Amino acid sequence: MTGLRKGAIGLTVWLCVTPGFEPAHGAQEPGVTAAGAVQRAPRALLDRYCVTCHNTRLKTAGLALDALDLSDTEGSAETLEKIVRRLQTGDMPPAGQPRPEPAIARAAAGQLASALDRAAAANPAPGAPPAFRRLSRTEYRNAIRDLLALPDLPREMDVDVVLPPDNSTTGFDNLAELLFVSPTLLDGYLTVARRISRLAVGDPTIPPLVETYRFPLDLRQDEHLDPLPPGTRGGASIRTTLPLDGEYLLRVEFAGRGAGTEQVVTAIDGAEVSRVPVFGPAGRPLAEGRFLEEPLALKAGPHEIAVAFVQRLATTTELLVRPALRGRGTQPSMASVTITGPARASGPGDTPSRQRIFVCHPARGDEARSCARRILARLARLAYRGPVAAEDVDELAAFYDAGAAEGGFEHGVQQALARLLVSPLFLFRIERDPAGTTPGAVHELDDLALAARLSFFLWSSLPDDTLLDLAEGGLLRRPEVLHQQVRRMLADPRAGSLVTNFAAQWLYLRDVASRRPDEDAFQNFDEGLRQAFQRETELFLRHVLLEDRSVIDLLRADYTFVNERLAKHYGIPHVYGSHFRRVDLPADSPRKGLLGQGSILMLTSYATRTSPVLRGKWILDNLLGSPPPPPPPNVPALEESAAGDRPLTLREAMVRHRANPVCASCHARMDPLGFALEHFDAIGRRRHRSESGAPIDASGVFPDGTAFDGADGLRQALLDKRDRLVSTLTEKLLMYALGRRITHADAPAVRAIAQGAAAQDYRFSAIVLGIVHSAPFRMRQALPTAPSGVAASTQRPGD
Amino acid sequence: MIVTKRHLRRRTFLRGSGVALALPLLDAMVPALTPVANTAAAPVRRIGFVYYPNGVIQEQWFPAAAGTAFEWTPSLGALSPHRSRLVVLSGLNHEPAEPGADSAHPVAQAAWLSAVHPITKGGVRLGTTADQIAARELGRFTPLPSLELALEAPSQIACDSGDCFFSSTISWRTPTTPNPMEGHPRVVFDRLFGDGGSADERRRLVRQDASILDSVTRELQRLDRTLGATDRTKLGEYVESVREIERRLQRIEAGNRQSPLALPDRPVDVPESFGEHAEVMFGLLALAFQADMTRVFTLLMGRESSNRTFPEIGVPDAHHNISHHNSRPDAIAKKAKIDTYHVQLLTSFLDTLAKAQDGEGSLLDHSLLLYGSGLGDGNLHGHDNVPAVLAGGCAGRLEGGRHVALRSGTPLANVYVTMLAMVDVPGAERFGDSTGPIAGL
Repeated sequence: MTGLRKGAIGLTVWLCVTPGFEPAHGAQEPGVTAAGAVQRAPRALLDRYCVTCHNTRLKTAGLALDALDLSDTEGSAETLEKIVRRLQTGDMPPAGQPRPEPAIARAAAGQLASALDRAAAANPAPGAPPAFRRLSRTEYRNAIRDLLALPDLPREMDVDVVLPPDNSTTGFDNLAELLFVSPTLLDGYLTVARRISRLAVGDPTIPPLVETYRFPLDLRQDEHLDPLPPGTRGGASIRTTLPLDGEYLLRVEFAGRGAGTEQVVTAIDGAEVSRVPVFGPAGRPLAEGRFLEEPLALKAGPHEIAVAFVQRLATTTELLVRPALRGRGTQPSMASVTITGPARASGPGDTPSRQRIFVCHPARGDEARSCARRILARLARLAYRGPVAAEDVDELAAFYDAGAAEGGFEHGVQQALARLLVSPLFLFRIERDPAGTTPGAVHELDDLALAARLSFFLWSSLPDDTLLDLAEGGLLRRPEVLHQQVRRMLADPRAGSLVTNFAAQWLYLRDVASRRPDEDAFQNFDEGLRQAFQRETELFLRHVLLEDRSVIDLLRADYTFVNERLAKHYGIPHVYGSHFRRVDLPADSPRKGLLGQGSILMLTSYATRTSPVLRGKWILDNLLGSPPPPPPPNVPALEESAAGDRPLTLREAMVRHRANPVCASCHARMDPLGFALEHFDAIGRRRHRSESGAPIDASGVFPDGTAFDGADGLRQALLDKRDRLVSTLTEKLLMYALGRRITHADAPAVRAIAQGAAAQDYRFSAIVLGIVHSAPFRMRQALPTAPSGVAASTQRPGD
Repeated sequence: MIVTKRHLRRRTFLRGSGVALALPLLDAMVPALTPVANTAAAPVRRIGFVYYPNGVIQEQWFPAAAGTAFEWTPSLGALSPHRSRLVVLSGLNHEPAEPGADSAHPVAQAAWLSAVHPITKGGVRLGTTADQIAARELGRFTPLPSLELALEAPSQIACDSGDCFFSSTISWRTPTTPNPMEGHPRVVFDRLFGDGGSADERRRLVRQDASILDSVTRELQRLDRTLGATDRTKLGEYVESVREIERRLQRIEAGNRQSPLALPDRPVDVPESFGEHAEVMFGLLALAFQADMTRVFTLLMGRESSNRTFPEIGVPDAHHNISHHNSRPDAIAKKAKIDTYHVQLLTSFLDTLAKAQDGEGSLLDHSLLLYGSGLGDGNLHGHDNVPAVLAGGCAGRLEGGRHVALRSGTPLANVYVTMLAMVDVPGAERFGDSTGPIAGL
């Protein structure tokens, strides 16, 4: 029965994608002889177009397709998936070789794929990720945030500063196999655990905090900066958490000379607290040594401390006469802001962290121990993500006892908290295989493991009480409960990690921060524009992903998010002020979707010029899911000019480069995509001439013959391949959700998820739900066994 | 030794309130900061490895003449004040950097100190790197067995193979566990000198950490019992790290004394300029040597495929991009400028080491440093004639002032074998593709 049903699906796909195509015999007999059906049409196609190179004798790229049994969906799955992908993307046969009609190629791919899908449904292979996986740095930071109600850590204990970075060059920084543990890392864990536990509890003996914010040298301070108070210019807004109620010292270091009177305004949590003159009428500094020092009485807990200059009306004329060079601007500016303290601490205050931790307060001395155990058991359940063994609470309680004996109840809790934050049960996600499982056997994850997979996927953080309650009650695995929880989690602010963690890595957006466009060639680039690029793309992704739009909007959206600075850069009129807002783009705008955004256009350029190769590769990697292999060794890069000739245009140079057959097969795929975006310069401005002064030729052809011209043409060509975008996003999201590399065995799941999403207009939640309900997410394969006793096996010092 | 610009006064008064705000008194901190008595009779030797990415312009790097009469080349000229403490090597080939089907840049970087071709299929695997082999021996005497620093964070776009994991570090503790490299000067400072403002406070913190690790060990053993049969690789890494930190705490506890060295101000942040960043990090390395916090270090000046730009020296182009110069004279000139600039930064480090008193000599006299790259001709991803400069006196064991022109094709790994022998690390007669020590060093 199953065979029949699947066969019918295969048939539907077949007919959909081949309008007007003479159906091959395979499709006429759905489900009758599955293996036979697979054999014919694809076999004929391979024999005609592929085996010239990929045969037993030549074995090009290690493939002998003449000898491949197409019905062997188990043993040859890897090769078959490769063929499916090549046929779907049209990457093969290489440009210039005879190739099948796209419809025929897709039909053959569909036929092979449905056979593979049937085999996978009968025998799921969800993969065997490591049983232990350490939290990534981002996950650790978010876990601290959620466990202890600490949204913004002081830089002294900022997890992203104190812990070494995880590797993200292989796609995502949460891949289990690349999350190593080293003494350096453990050293960092001990340090942050000590500092954060003191902050969270409000330890009266905590050393004074020194929180310094240094202004980038190229952040212009002439203009209003979001989110600082209206009527100000420059300045910074510092979000931090203070450990104690008390006096803090705000210290502002100035740079640049004044031309007139300047005042500095300070606002705490949005309320102005002071307005101090810092430069006199002749621009002479009033503050001693070019510093402003101001004592502030502040409560413990999270604060937003804003410091900025009061905007003077006279300054606009100055801006007109002085060119806007990259720098801090033409007026006095700030070099750094430092908050130090507390002095004269008056107590731990009533902070969100203390409310989260101290769920009880012992009224009498003999209640202290039981209260502490209650506190610790509760924290441990959240931190360890499930029921906690009495022994594990004992371990923490021992630290409470020692600490309480030394410094009282709260000190005891702080010591136990410092211990909890380095517990292997906190630092590692552990997925156990049930007792007696044979290696390779597939089993469904238990509710608690599922809760953790869900929360680390959607929140990059710990499961909350709701998830743990459902998991402990054995309810989470029910499809309707799971569905409802996913909806709830996507609506939660913590789902922002899907943008800041998932999408930022998927699209390489983290690289925007380190780009340094050439100062001569791009004089109007500065830190403000960089931040605007980042903000635009983040807001855009938030809108599409978290407000659950069709992910096709990533390519085609006729709207974006800009402030005045960015709007000017893009040539969008009538946008004023530093705050970001959604704007609709005109029908003929080249800016539609991600490919028109400064962030993407800059990060795929070099410092001095655009790079069609990087842009093309970025599209292949991230949108089309068909990354080119690394360049072959010992092949020279671009020949940009021949001796004595006029300089080659980039396109001419690329044509020469492609003349080398070794380079041709990949560059024929990359370069046209990148050249289509040549109307955007290396910082995303519109232009009509290239760096060399030549008029821009933005035409190109896909290897499958589809021609396009310019950003619009490329966008349309990519929209015609929207199924590739959806599969690629699905694959990337699945990789991120599972924390492991995606293999050929995952292809059936990816296809099923993408097809399911198609029925719902490719809404992001449809892809997320597809992943959550998929076999790779719900199941795991038991790992090969290893001897126990690792923990006891190494010699301890002093033994 | 300038470690940072001064951003904070040590004691800051709240204006008008008269209340003194005591900042952590950094110069009162007391780590195991006692310089060793480095004497000719009982010399202490230190070793370090500095990596420079994207190859060099070989024509402007290697001196023409071999022996002691060589003339300085444009790229190496800055080093001339330290001539007597330098050996320029040429003729070295680094075959493990041959990329095969993998990406040339990450392979070159991974292979540099391991002399092994990296493997990713079926689990990441390289080889224990030369610095870590040295650390197993020399690290027994110091709180930190080794220090791993970097001046650049990883980039996704600069990765051309989708698997640039190997360009995130040059130091591997074991063939399967890389050491992360630290780039933030304040974090390095804190690792060296710790939290805690007095000897007593520091002792207390060390004991706290020790008891936390004791307790963690008990938890690990319990966990291990409940796991049944499963893969414990990652757990093993954690256990090993616990052991390592325990050993370190014991060494710190044993050596916790009042420091005779004046510590610089605690660095605030990563300096915006590359030159300043390098200066701060080199400064911390010199300090770590001087305080005998470690005797082994690695420093990654830039990752392979680095696209850092150097407008400060007139090179606004991306490093990797310009390294593929394709024989264009302007591009060659720019790449040579970058080569020269890095050598200048190295020279300032050598200046610092030469000025730092270390027993009966200077730190430079007692150190053995290698500066080099896994690529020779960056343009072609070539790994023959890779740049390699040895610096330092190694307490009388390295005779400087020479350009040693080796038989072409001599494995780079032979340099590691030689270096490890010079600092008395036993059992390192063979390393990677080595064929033996280099004669005459």
